[in-house]
Amino acid sequence: MKKVVALALVVSLTAGFGWAKPQKAKLKGVKLKGVIKIGFFSPLTGFAAADGLSALRGARLAVEQINKNGGLLGKKVVLVNYDDRVKSSEAVAIARKLVTKDRVIAAVSGSYSGPTRAAAPIFQQFKVPMISAYAVHPEITKAGDYIFRNGFLGTVEGKAMGEVALKFLRAKRIALLVIDNDYGHSLAEGVKMRIRQLGGAKIVYEKTYSIGEKDFTPLLTAARAQKPDLLIATAYYNEAAQIARQVKQMGWKIQILGEEGYDSPKFLELAGDAAEGVIITTNLNRDDLSSITQNFIKNFKTKYNEDPDMVGASSYDAVMLLAKAIKKAHSTNPARIRDALQSLQNEVLATGVLYRFTRGREVVKPVQVQIVKNGEFHYYGIIADPDVVTPPW
Amino acid sequence: MVLQQIINGLASGGIYTLVALGLTLVYGVLKILHIAHAGIYALGAYMALVAYKIYPNIYFAFLFAMATTAVAGYLVQKYLYWPIIDQPRIVPLIASIGLFLALEELYRLIWGPYVIPFPQKFHWKTYTLGNIRLPGADLFVFALSIVFLAILYWIVNKTKVGLAMRAVADDKEVSEASGINSKWTIALSFIIGSALAGAAGLMVGVYYNSIYPTMGDVPAYKSLAVIVVGGMGSIEGTVVAGFGLGLLEALLLGFLPFAFPRDALAFIAMIIFLLIKPEGLFGE
Repeated sequence: MKKVVALALVVSLTAGFGWAKPQKAKLKGVKLKGVIKIGFFSPLTGFAAADGLSALRGARLAVEQINKNGGLLGKKVVLVNYDDRVKSSEAVAIARKLVTKDRVIAAVSGSYSGPTRAAAPIFQQFKVPMISAYAVHPEITKAGDYIFRNGFLGTVEGKAMGEVALKFLRAKRIALLVIDNDYGHSLAEGVKMRIRQLGGAKIVYEKTYSIGEKDFTPLLTAARAQKPDLLIATAYYNEAAQIARQVKQMGWKIQILGEEGYDSPKFLELAGDAAEGVIITTNLNRDDLSSITQNFIKNFKTKYNEDPDMVGASSYDAVMLLAKAIKKAHSTNPARIRDALQSLQNEVLATGVLYRFTRGREVVKPVQVQIVKNGEFHYYGIIADPDVVTPPW
Repeated sequence: MVLQQIINGLASGGIYTLVALGLTLVYGVLKILHIAHAGIYALGAYMALVAYKIYPNIYFAFLFAMATTAVAGYLVQKYLYWPIIDQPRIVPLIASIGLFLALEELYRLIWGPYVIPFPQKFHWKTYTLGNIRLPGADLFVFALSIVFLAILYWIVNKTKVGLAMRAVADDKEVSEASGINSKWTIALSFIIGSALAGAAGLMVGVYYNSIYPTMGDVPAYKSLAVIVVGGMGSIEGTVVAGFGLGLLEALLLGFLPFAFPRDALAFIAMIIFLLIKPEGLFGE
């Protein structure tokens, strides 16, 4: 009996070690008075880990640069970050912790729509300004006037995809694969909206698929039977890589149009040469001549030995936006920061020019279109038509 | 188009069958649900990474992966199950689950939580047979599964070793009385089953170009569903249920108009069988 207990203990302890605890960023012993704390959360474990890590890196790079340039209001900026494992329940707990325990004056979500949407009401409730770096779901900013979005609204990006499909790629028969979550559905809505608005094309196949699906061949086979001339597939990098690979494996020569979920070195790595020619709408133009963009890319590559992606750039920009707002407000008072954020205009960011925030705190900025060429993302086009990029609220 | 979906279903069916076979072999001789088997499956994929660092060749990787998983299987039964074999059956079950979780975390600690691409790129061709397209990747998986199944069939039905395995599965005491070394036979079941799982893990790594710590999660419960439907301990049952599941998944996914979480099918099937025929298709 003793042996059993011992064995069970050993095994359960080993297993127990596995349950990752939220990682707390190291706060180098700085006195509270001389520090400005900015909260941050992103998935560092789980299927979204690559995006989460990239987002964290972008945020950290921004903080490092801010501090190098004298900090904010004479104080050092500290990033307090947690791993939300892309779970809404974790995000809520983290939001509460950031606000009540860590007492951050503002926060950035480097996470996906699900967790961000769950956390936003908490920040709103405690009146702590929060910027969603790239999560697209409409409900996020609807949580209240303290919640902003740096990336594109799902429906806006979807409309941009529709624009690319009809105007750039001249598609007439579209197959649409939709990932079954907040992200996918809001994008799909935008795509269909724009296709209806422009007319001249129809959706010959539409299917929603579960997140985490690895084998798309049955869906792709069914789609192919409808003879589309364009495949629009909303996905994150794992699914996107499988879709691209399996399209190639099937010997199907069709143009694939994706979105920012594809915007990751992981997609390029996992899809291999199947990624070649894939076009995506996203929030980062690697070929942007702006020095802000190029410096960001260079510094990210130098510091982390990896090419930055959209989530890294967006998180970097989100932190920079907070810094600009804090400087403009010349205060750490959350209401003042909020107002300053709302009033920002024509800011040149790593992800392009932010014209302004709407009253609904959505960005008005052009959507980038990139294409994979020789294993890298490059400029393909830009969508600045106000009809497309102006958020509805 | 149905034929097209069938081809894809046969490939995934092959994988399910290979993984579930190890589970059924172990259950047959030990009456233990070896949940950690899925951890061995993932090990096969990770060992491919190691193999490529030694000698970048797919055949070598297969041999290496199967050899290491076979050894791993042997170690698991020797040091985890044998010491607790006389305990109530819930004890080895819990130990197995604990080991499975520990293995996943071990992979995460060693190789990181990210999805790692397979170290070699394959360029599959698509063959056309009349109206039907045969993707090279699916053919590869299916063909390899059949090869392994054939070898297993030969071992189980045409060799003394296989005879011993079937005897021990039938009745351990009587077999021992007849002079069969049940300890070795059981060890062999583990070794063979684990090698098959290792091969399956590697094939999945190749097919999806993805290796990650939790890749054993879905196969863990899916292979459980497969052996329940097929009949725990029955090799024929596992083969039928494994391929059946693969085919059904492909067909339903292709034809159902709504987002169908394909993994749910295995469970629905398992629940149905538990309700109407708990011993499975070929079980007793």
